[in-house]
Amino acid sequence: MSGYQLALQQLTDSALPTGAFAHSLGFETYIDRELVFDEESFGRWLSAFVAQSLTYSDGLAVRLLYEGGELRELDALLSASLLPREVRDASLKMGSRLLEIGTEVFPSPALELYRDLVATGRAAGHQPLAFAVVARSLGVPLQEALAAYLFATVTSLSQNAVRAIPLGQNAGQRVLRKAHDDVAAAIGAIAHLTPDDLGAVSPGLEISQMRHERQRARMFMS
Amino acid sequence: MGRLELGVTLRGGRSVASHQFHEGALRVMRPHYLDDSGQVCYVVVNPGGAYLGADLFVIDVEVGDSASLLLTTQSATKVYRTPGSFAEQRMAVRLGEGARLELMPDQLIAYREASYRQRTSVTLRPSSSLVMAEVVTPGWSPDGAAFRYEEVRLRNEICIETDAGTQLLALDNLLIRPPLGDVTGLGFMEGFSHLGSLVVVDARVDQELADELHHLTAGYDARTGISLTRTVAGTTGLVLRSLSNSTGELNHLLAACADLLRVRWHGQGPLNLRKH
Repeated sequence: MSGYQLALQQLTDSALPTGAFAHSLGFETYIDRELVFDEESFGRWLSAFVAQSLTYSDGLAVRLLYEGGELRELDALLSASLLPREVRDASLKMGSRLLEIGTEVFPSPALELYRDLVATGRAAGHQPLAFAVVARSLGVPLQEALAAYLFATVTSLSQNAVRAIPLGQNAGQRVLRKAHDDVAAAIGAIAHLTPDDLGAVSPGLEISQMRHERQRARMFMS
Repeated sequence: MGRLELGVTLRGGRSVASHQFHEGALRVMRPHYLDDSGQVCYVVVNPGGAYLGADLFVIDVEVGDSASLLLTTQSATKVYRTPGSFAEQRMAVRLGEGARLELMPDQLIAYREASYRQRTSVTLRPSSSLVMAEVVTPGWSPDGAAFRYEEVRLRNEICIETDAGTQLLALDNLLIRPPLGDVTGLGFMEGFSHLGSLVVVDARVDQELADELHHLTAGYDARTGISLTRTVAGTTGLVLRSLSNSTGELNHLLAACADLLRVRWHGQGPLNLRKH
């Protein structure tokens, strides 16, 4: 067993109290439009989300940090490029919880530094970067960190879809199994992106994430 | 290839060019004044009519303190085949204290096998005012099929400059690469063909304005989202994205938003470029 295995499992467990249960990251808009209503249609949205948001934003940010990117600069790039306000707020809310939890259970000088930058207003504190800082300090290799982060996000989104659509528990598991291919493809794609690609999320997803702000009936914060 | 430099300053209540330089296939037409606000309007012309592979167009614009510039184009930006290469436009804009820029270019048309990169960086003061619009069409191919180009990459970087330093306010990054996968469906173009965007940065931007513009866009045959950017040095931006099936509909929608701001903030009438 590698030294970080249990730590990584704890960090990516859907019971980790970051508040992920409160975010649809835009799929609730598609439910409202009745475009996402069952296992198959949610799976289609999830594929698009993994190939766009998780690839061009979160995933690329994790990779750039691992490759020595400057933390404050990446933090500012995420704040500037997450244009839908609720998605930006979600990243900061979950990021701040992750910084807190991480400091208590997996402390490291790098994490202390990030927390200090956020506490003094010099950084905003985004979820993928907080995760990357912890994973890197635990010695998790990039590919494994990416797989863990992407699949943890996919898992919490699927659980939220099970409650919201609703889907059966087994249907939720089938969606997750199918998402393995999307996550693998995303990891492959992230390796080939350039820093210029950061934040190049497709307009359709962004518009839906923006429209969620004004949606009347909603159970999620994003 | 082409290069254009334009500096505008305020003189005797009117904005005038204090610096102008061009070489290659880019120039501006004689300036005109569309109303009595003192705002100067320049129209960028590309006499070559199109962008080709390895073409590089560089545009530098500086609007001095309290000056106001409306910058538009004579016609659509057309990008033809760029085999193994790409056409590129790099635009750098700097706005002084109280300076204002309205950037309202015609639509972008990328032809079959075209690759195009556009990078626009705007640096403004908390007291400056920026409105920039953009319409991206599905391109053009002889068989009438849409999205036959290789790549369209549009990147807007907007920075707020204060005496304490410069900070990134918004990074509006768009990348459409049709050969990589279906871009027409759910999550991407959502069954629409055209994309419009509007960026507004001004100390007066707030949630109320975003809600009002959202309400305004509801009257158009388009699917639109509006959100506020982060806040830097007290200044917030607003980004609007809209999907529709025609250039005309998006132009009307974007003009309606820009006009609301012209009337409310600057006491001007609606924009009428009389181009078409």
